[in-house]
Amino acid sequence: MNYSRELESLFSPSSVAIIGATPIEGKIGRVLVENFTRRYRGKTYLVNPKYSEILGLKCYRSVKELPEPPQLAVIAIPAQFVPQVLVECGEIGVKAAIIISGGFSETGTDEGIKLEREVREVVEKYKIRVIGPNCLGIFDNYSGVDTFFLPEERMKRPPKGGISFISQSGAFASALLDYMAYNNIGIARAISYGNKVDVDDVDLIKFLKEDPVTKVIVLYIEGFKESRGRAFIEVAREVVKKKPIIVYKAGKTSRGGRAVVSHTAALAGDYNIYSAAFRQAGIIEAETFDEITDFAKILLTQPLMKGNRVFIVTDAGGIGVMLTDALVKEGFEVPLTPEDLREELRKVLPRHCITDNPIDLTGDADDERYREVLEIIAFKPYVDALVIGALPHIPGMTMRITDYISSVIGRAKKPVAIINIGSEVALKFKVEFERKGMPVYESPERAARALKALYTYSMYLKKHERGVSSDS
Amino acid sequence: MIHRALIKRAISEGRAKLLEHESIKLLESYGIPVAEAELASEVNEAIALARRIGYPVVLKIVSPDISHKSDVGGVKIGIDSDDGIRSAFNEVISNASERAPGSRIVGVLVQKMAPSGGIEVIIGGLRDRAFGPVIMFGLGGVFVEVLKDVSFRVAPISEEEAYEMLSELKGARILSGYRGMPPVDKSSLVRIILKVAEILDENPEIDSLDLNPVMSYTSGALVVDARIILRSKG
Repeated sequence: MNYSRELESLFSPSSVAIIGATPIEGKIGRVLVENFTRRYRGKTYLVNPKYSEILGLKCYRSVKELPEPPQLAVIAIPAQFVPQVLVECGEIGVKAAIIISGGFSETGTDEGIKLEREVREVVEKYKIRVIGPNCLGIFDNYSGVDTFFLPEERMKRPPKGGISFISQSGAFASALLDYMAYNNIGIARAISYGNKVDVDDVDLIKFLKEDPVTKVIVLYIEGFKESRGRAFIEVAREVVKKKPIIVYKAGKTSRGGRAVVSHTAALAGDYNIYSAAFRQAGIIEAETFDEITDFAKILLTQPLMKGNRVFIVTDAGGIGVMLTDALVKEGFEVPLTPEDLREELRKVLPRHCITDNPIDLTGDADDERYREVLEIIAFKPYVDALVIGALPHIPGMTMRITDYISSVIGRAKKPVAIINIGSEVALKFKVEFERKGMPVYESPERAARALKALYTYSMYLKKHERGVSSDS
Repeated sequence: MIHRALIKRAISEGRAKLLEHESIKLLESYGIPVAEAELASEVNEAIALARRIGYPVVLKIVSPDISHKSDVGGVKIGIDSDDGIRSAFNEVISNASERAPGSRIVGVLVQKMAPSGGIEVIIGGLRDRAFGPVIMFGLGGVFVEVLKDVSFRVAPISEEEAYEMLSELKGARILSGYRGMPPVDKSSLVRIILKVAEILDENPEIDSLDLNPVMSYTSGALVVDARIILRSKG
């Protein structure tokens, strides 16, 4: 089965029917109409038997009256009507649907469970690929499909970018999108799949693997259904050869769900197994909320690391020491500056600068001094990555530094992380650095953790290169 | 296929675990080295077994109703004579009947004492709902749940991954020879790890198993105690 093709209609349909469209302010069906009329470029059909027109657009009584079968049906009607509407969709040949409506198995009621079973039966009978029910659905920054029913003034939409995000929690998905929009982090596609009656994490990473605009996949996972964990890591192993996967696993602590009769079961809990499985498949695990975007930024923009030797260049001695601690704690080597490099640096640096790694350009540094030093260091074969502390508080620092670093790093093809601590001025530099593709971190520890994520991914690929060639 | 018969019998008797001697038989049938042991139903049989196995031996109570044998005084170690067996045999039975009243007692396991000088590790496995068979390795013995120095892998695993399970422990240096102690025989541990994966793969009725402790020596390793839990129905 070709999942990429099948799921394409969910993300980039040529026509969409919004079932449950309404003119009433504050209703989900109203936000959906606004979302689709704002950005979606395909044909939008509105369906609701109560209206003949909504916001100036024609409204149809049922999907059967539509002039053509839509490629995608977005369903936002009360749960009890969903199975019947889905049957109608199936009958006219709809092959993809997003069911926003709640009121299914998540309620834990007999009625909800029964309705979900009916939905599943219809889905299987008509072979419709379905996201949901009980979800926010899809936000696609390229096609304009946006079923996140939160008004734009409440939830900002992030700019276009290379990160795709899959979330088991709808509320977290919308919060993260808003956060990314505020922090100017680009998104390709975001998916909240709710009760995953059909399409789940496994199908989605398979789809995103072939998706040309997705460069990094981020997942928020609470748990897999029966045996899907195994399926997920089997697929993930293949996906990570093409693009990195970052997972945030929620529900790390155990409240003793498992009947613990063996030491192994007691020690495993649920989380340790997830964590081990992720590592085995080459998935990078974000342990905290901050790490989700910290890791995504560096994996999205930086080349792979060839080794673990990191050189630090800074204008603040204290930051250099903190960085050394943080990097060593993560297992990096912060080697002493070799003699030849020391001599080269001596030629361009004033006497009071420190040529030992961390290389301290001191408080009277200007961006030119950074440029000269980086032109020398970045090309050395024993430098696997650079961490640059470029505090903007010193008078000699101008925005030119962002161009200098970007230029030398681009030519040297070495990964870089920037440390930048402070208020408004620091933020301006941060925005500029990140616009030019260099990840900026607000603490030495976060930079070190992010670099470690890049290193772990790099080493996984290196180790499994053998596997790739022998497979093919 | 002795292990299949053992599992089937336990299930037909409605038991949630294999008895000690059954667990040992199952492990042996997979070629896992276990401290030699036999079940005795009365004291003279125990003496005969001890003579055959060779002193010193350990006596362990065997009951489908007792999981923590030491907690009920059901284990006596370092027995080195027929007289020792005579007193210990009755002692473990009376301890068990006193501290776990109503427990069905199948007999007493007579087991060869493992040589001293080994490092105690735990090798375990379980069947996870989402991921299927999972293997665990860690520093073992009675403090295993305190130390929590363990590593996990979803099966199947390669030999290389099994070695990684050893090397990624916080206390990995203990296995590599610490303070003049010689390194342990890692290959024998890796072989057991891979066998545990095989056991879970071939016996879907097994829910989890602990081999704890496994004594790890400079040459070879020996399972001293094993617990095999079967899946509850449903």
